[in-house]
Amino acid sequence: MTADEQLARARAGDSDALAGLVREHQRSIYSIALRMLGNREGAEDLTQEVFMQLSAKIGSIASGEHLRFWLRQVTANRAIDELRRSTRFPMVPLDEEASFCHAAEDTDPLLQRQLDRLLAQLSAPARAVLLLRYQEDLDPVDIARTLDMPINTVKSHLKRSLEMLRSRCEVPAP
Amino acid sequence: MSEGLEARLRAALRPVSPSEEFSVRLQERLTAAARPRRRAVALWFGAALAASLVLAVGIAHRASKAQERVAGLAARQQVLDALRVTNQKVDLAYLTVTSESRDEP
Repeated sequence: MTADEQLARARAGDSDALAGLVREHQRSIYSIALRMLGNREGAEDLTQEVFMQLSAKIGSIASGEHLRFWLRQVTANRAIDELRRSTRFPMVPLDEEASFCHAAEDTDPLLQRQLDRLLAQLSAPARAVLLLRYQEDLDPVDIARTLDMPINTVKSHLKRSLEMLRSRCEVPAP
Repeated sequence: MSEGLEARLRAALRPVSPSEEFSVRLQERLTAAARPRRRAVALWFGAALAASLVLAVGIAHRASKAQERVAGLAARQQVLDALRVTNQKVDLAYLTVTSESRDEP
């Protein structure tokens, strides 16, 4: 069954199809939420809210591509709003969270922690831009559409963030 | 240099999975949320069906009344036509009778 067929079934009220869509996208959405907010509890709450909203609005989702776009847009914007207005998820380094976040990954855990700390120092929109670029592999045009941001702002966030990372992240050569 | 950093960022920012416990909880919440919505859809469907039935009966009643009115008007017209014809015949008979009585010596 293709993604569009699964979406059509979910729109028609098939709860198994909706569950399948959630399973397919939850890893990506949870990762955006986790790296934006910096803690597991907040990331789980945000992920749950996003999928509950999807469940209520599934009728307005036109295609698999639209679904991916919608999920990223809602997650990133909600996370930015949350970071701006709340002290519940202060922008602090991930530290201990990082160890559980990436325990299963085969990247260097020290580098991982260092990157997490540096990510936490970026502004919320800059962090969202960086995540959409390097986690979701979106190009600047798609990032601009997702975050409803001028393309030049996206490019400038990327440039500044990379410069900051390059200057502060003394990554040991492999 | 930049490519090296970007490649490392990509590697470091690979998506991570939520806990299995969270995935199960999320699916349960979605299923629970879908149930009342299905009930609400059924209620709306029932209400819409009832409203459609009432509307259909109303329209049929109105159409039947309109048909009766048209038939009544046609009958009235027929009676009026019959009266007019009768009136003409009576007038003709009267003229005939009066002209005959005038002709008599």
